[in-house]
Amino acid sequence: MSATPADVRARLDRVTDPELDESIVDLDYVDRIDIDETSVTVHFTLPTAWCSPAFAWMMATDARDELESLPDVETAAVYLRDHMHETEINEGVNERQSFEESFPDADGEVASVRATLDDKARLSRQYAAVEALLDAGVSPEQLCELTPADVDIESAPRREGARASVYLADGAFAVTVDARPLDRYLCKARAVDAVTGDDDRLFRTPEGDPIDPDAFELVHQRGRLAQTNMTGQGGVCDALNESRRRKLNRDSPTVVDAD
Amino acid sequence: MYTYEGEDVFVIDGHTHMWDATEENIKHEGGEQFIQCFYDYHTGFTPEDRQRDIDDYRKFTPQEMKEDLFTNHVDMAVYQPTHLHEFYTEGFNTVDDLGQTLYQDHPDRFVLNGRWDPRDGEAGLKELERQKDEYDVKGAKVYTAEWKGDSKGWRLDSEESYEFLEKCVELGIENIHPHKGPTIRPLNKDAFDVGDVDDAATNFPELNFIVEHVGLPRLDDFCWIATQEPNVYGGIAVAAPMALGRPKKFEEIMAELLFWLGEDRITFGSDYGIWDPDWLIEAIMDLEFSEETVEEFGVEFDLETKKKVMGENIAELYDIDIEERKEQFRDDAISQEFGLGDTYSAPASADD
Repeated sequence: MSATPADVRARLDRVTDPELDESIVDLDYVDRIDIDETSVTVHFTLPTAWCSPAFAWMMATDARDELESLPDVETAAVYLRDHMHETEINEGVNERQSFEESFPDADGEVASVRATLDDKARLSRQYAAVEALLDAGVSPEQLCELTPADVDIESAPRREGARASVYLADGAFAVTVDARPLDRYLCKARAVDAVTGDDDRLFRTPEGDPIDPDAFELVHQRGRLAQTNMTGQGGVCDALNESRRRKLNRDSPTVVDAD
Repeated sequence: MYTYEGEDVFVIDGHTHMWDATEENIKHEGGEQFIQCFYDYHTGFTPEDRQRDIDDYRKFTPQEMKEDLFTNHVDMAVYQPTHLHEFYTEGFNTVDDLGQTLYQDHPDRFVLNGRWDPRDGEAGLKELERQKDEYDVKGAKVYTAEWKGDSKGWRLDSEESYEFLEKCVELGIENIHPHKGPTIRPLNKDAFDVGDVDDAATNFPELNFIVEHVGLPRLDDFCWIATQEPNVYGGIAVAAPMALGRPKKFEEIMAELLFWLGEDRITFGSDYGIWDPDWLIEAIMDLEFSEETVEEFGVEFDLETKKKVMGENIAELYDIDIEERKEQFRDDAISQEFGLGDTYSAPASADD
């Protein structure tokens, strides 16, 4: 058995550009996917030859690990194209070296860069989730008190029309909202350990603390700013990516299934 | 001079260059990749009928720069040098490139900024003195991600950098323009992190820090710092072209800047020659905030605000008396060459 193109794309869809918090599939970075029995090879291109090598590294290793977690995939190879450090990145990632081994002149490690960006992504996703709840009539005071135990997200939250229920006043009543923003927020908040237990406060300040209702407005404005930053930069990257696609004559993404 | 709905808008383009990225001048592959990246920015945002060929784009001469700016709505321009000597034999866009040419001929039309790099040590301090003596620079562009030998960047809040900032205070070079743009080398240590502006701005209250490209993609960090540091400004070069191609994004960014910094600390820049200024200026002037934005952010982007962003704010930073300049530009060499004199005359009354 080999993985289907749909399986492969679904896994790659989980890989995000850490700076934009968007899927590399949606961002159109993926040029080509080759599936050959139990191995998968992916080629991708970033919006500029100058994109941060640390970010490129994160995307390449995430893609490799996501693909290798598929039951029918034994090995995955990932190749970055047209980048000033493509040699170091491609060798390092596919030969399973660490970032520090591939870039001996780098200072520090990749983990802290990732943590910083993950935190921004959490804040931006929090803004979207909080907006959805404010629109549904939940008050700032109630938002500050919420815990994961108060939230019930339908299975398959990515499905169109999926709903989430949020229980208020000790479960006396619930409001329902689109599941997607809440699910996206919770995934990231759990991944970065901002929310661990079921009785933790659901929403947090940029520093990771529970929110004092008096500071709610400012925290929410900072969330909006994090989102504006990510989507604003997304606009820049998008334009650059289109230009490069034309210039390098990159085809639309193709999937080649050897079977 | 540009007029909008019958009103004069004095435009000071706060971010311009005159570069040489010809193949003869490139000494490192980074030099070629750098100009190619600029060209992607150019074609990514410029309307198709205004796009240049890559060969045209590799070098801008004084004559071209003069024409491209002053016949395209710009009244004055701030020149921001970017040396990049590791990549380009003669440098990419040096202080002297403008200093020895256009600035010499038209000192009233340009603000010529200097440039320093703390890794140059004693020689760098001497060079800064030379820039002050020779051109009376009142500002300096600093490029914290510039390569030098094994080093792939430096920090504005380092001890070495503080020596240079002290020198700037001593020499009266009051406006420091750190370039903070997309994350590139050096690798994982982020040389375009805006965090270093924070301490520098606190420690040098007598200087102004105009963060170029408003820290994108760190607009959030930048705004947060700027709310706490009154001497921090935001230059909108690179955000500006979104006004045409992605107006909703531009609107959001401007609304955030107005919300966090206020209307007195935002400065326009076209980033010429990445883009010509005319269509950028028109797109920004034509942009109106939606009712939802005005309501959500509680800020306006009206004509008065636009005039501040397009020129008045930077005039304030560089002690430029706009009315005096307008009078002077009625018959200066640039106005004569391009037939612009009439645009600087007092507006005709409605009866004429």
